[in-house]
Amino acid sequence: MTQANGWIGTILRINLTEGSIKKEPLNMQDAHDYVGARGLGTKYYCNEVDPKIDPLSPDNKLIFMTGPLTGTAACSSGRYEVVSKAPLTGIIGAANSGGHFGPELKYAGYDGIIFEGKADHPVYLHIDDDKVELLDAGELWGQGVHETTEALEAKHGKVRVSCIGTPGERCMLYAAIMNDKNRAAGRGGMGAVMGSKNLKAIAVRGTGGVTVARPEGFMREITKARTMLKEHPVTGNGLGTFGTEILVNIVNEVGGLPLRNGRDGSYWDKADDTSGEHLNETHLVKNQGCFGCSIACGRVTKIEGKGDLDGFGEGPEYEAGWSYGAACGVNDISSIVKANFICNEQGMDPITLGSTVACAMELYEMGAIPEEDIGFPLRFGDAAAMVKLTQMCADGEGFGKIIGLGSYRLAEKYGHPELSMSVKKQEMPAYDGRAIQGIGLEYATSNRGGCHVRGYMISPEVLGIPVKLDPQVTEGKGAMLKTFQDLTALCDSTGMCLFTTFGIGLPEIAGQYREAVGSDETDEEILLKGERIWNLEKRFNMEAGVEKDTLPPRLLREALPSGPAKGKVNELQTMLADYYEARNWTADGIPTPEKLAELNVTY
Amino acid sequence: MLVKFLATYRQIANCKSCDMPAPSNVLELMEALCARWPEFDGLILNDERTDKGDDVIILVNGRHIEHLNGVATPLTEQDYVVITPLVAGG
Ligand code: SF4
Repeated sequence: MTQANGWIGTILRINLTEGSIKKEPLNMQDAHDYVGARGLGTKYYCNEVDPKIDPLSPDNKLIFMTGPLTGTAACSSGRYEVVSKAPLTGIIGAANSGGHFGPELKYAGYDGIIFEGKADHPVYLHIDDDKVELLDAGELWGQGVHETTEALEAKHGKVRVSCIGTPGERCMLYAAIMNDKNRAAGRGGMGAVMGSKNLKAIAVRGTGGVTVARPEGFMREITKARTMLKEHPVTGNGLGTFGTEILVNIVNEVGGLPLRNGRDGSYWDKADDTSGEHLNETHLVKNQGCFGCSIACGRVTKIEGKGDLDGFGEGPEYEAGWSYGAACGVNDISSIVKANFICNEQGMDPITLGSTVACAMELYEMGAIPEEDIGFPLRFGDAAAMVKLTQMCADGEGFGKIIGLGSYRLAEKYGHPELSMSVKKQEMPAYDGRAIQGIGLEYATSNRGGCHVRGYMISPEVLGIPVKLDPQVTEGKGAMLKTFQDLTALCDSTGMCLFTTFGIGLPEIAGQYREAVGSDETDEEILLKGERIWNLEKRFNMEAGVEKDTLPPRLLREALPSGPAKGKVNELQTMLADYYEARNWTADGIPTPEKLAELNVTY
Repeated sequence: MLVKFLATYRQIANCKSCDMPAPSNVLELMEALCARWPEFDGLILNDERTDKGDDVIILVNGRHIEHLNGVATPLTEQDYVVITPLVAGG
């Protein structure tokens, strides 16, 4: 029985210790206040889990949550969120993914799944509409993501699969949860939490649908938004033609592509070898879209005639293209594609993995990691060593196990934690905060540690969307970031893809949301929910014991040696003050009781 | 003066970059590009041919011209210009 408001109205609660399966009504008040997906999943999590929990303990919970627009006709509405405390960072870890899994879960009759406890042997959850069962995963354990998905499809027919590879089984700290083979709830180690519960996969088939409150108004809003997306150069054909890797050259040209772990600045004369233009010429088979998406930014790629590197898969996205490219100083595009294939096939976050290899390369070159620890030389630019180490990490072999700890724990082990390019122990992505000031502020304040998709300041600072901000100045960055963070939290929570925000904005997101759930709230009232979600995440992090908002010393003290931003460092303190003021938090970055009460952030 | 093309502009120019004599400013450079590759006409200049089009990014020495002097930004032989259609990713 579905509700006529974008929701099904049912949550599955699976206790893996007991093997019990319960269906319970969706908490509609929380769904109203926290929208869905990222916001609602986090609210459920905060309601039920002690912030001090060990993320890998049986008492932790793992929540899969869709949004009210997931699986509807809304633009790019195939998204769902996985929420838990992240093993890599020790703070909230909400990871978003596309593909088709989220819509299928709703069509089966469930808005979300809450996993509790730990199974005493490997299991997977099979959902076929009303039939929900925990089945033995003994034969799947030890299999990669693609094999697991194919085995479940062979057994159960037309199912959508979300699963972990072997790194997740071993609770590797940044193991991803993969759905539809190559789509990732990638960051923070949600796959490790899944593995810690002996939960290998979820296979779901649904034959129902989703009903919205005001179908006519909904279609009117969708038509308006789709037209805007089609007419915008980025969402119309830019992302479909070149994928996200197209950013390599432009980011490099503004001097913001971190080179060799950021050691050598952020301008690279070989960047074009790793660009979206070059990827199209060398490895692209076709582009591909997630559920209901007209943008279709996905890259289906193959490697041929390269011996051991040969393979077929998807990606890389810009961030992975950088972590395995400029960050490692590797300009062999086939090796970059291959390393990313390994990450997809085994479910690992390529941003963290590539950055950790880059950190190890710097430590090796300065003599801090002895060669006998690694087993072979590991210099910047060594493509073969990079691919080999990625495979060793996937297999949990030798030095690959150390790589599996992430760059912070690696660098700390070898006496140089300052050389981990991470914030709150999660690696920063592919933009240098010295050349692009606001993205540095974004990394420092992100509620899940180093991350670009919590408030994508590259949009105004490099691309000029929706306004043109000078990347090298600090003025106006705090207030702009606050708005971006709130809007992103809202967008993620509806079930729509964040990439739509290159072509549409708050009026179109709020418009589709309003008609789906049957709300008469204003755009501003709906955006306020994004702010509520941000403050909820922050509050959880404070109680979990979050580290302070800062950046690696390299970004604050080592001036860029070359490129258009030569001589710059990140001016974090100036921007932080503006940002905290825009958030109406204390000067130390703490949400005041008044602010939390005003937003009604309670649990 | 080196002019570098990105994304679909490479297909129009049929090259990644080219050397051109430096005109006095960015607007004149765009006019020169349109003259040399007519397909740029209607893409990189606005309808009045007084400014760059909305969906074009132009960098002079790595700086967006919006944060310099716009299309009046002066050019010399030593300058380095990048021109790209609006692209995005993440
Ligand atoms: S824009 Fe790309 S990532 Fe987003 S839903 Fe579409 S295909 Fe998926």
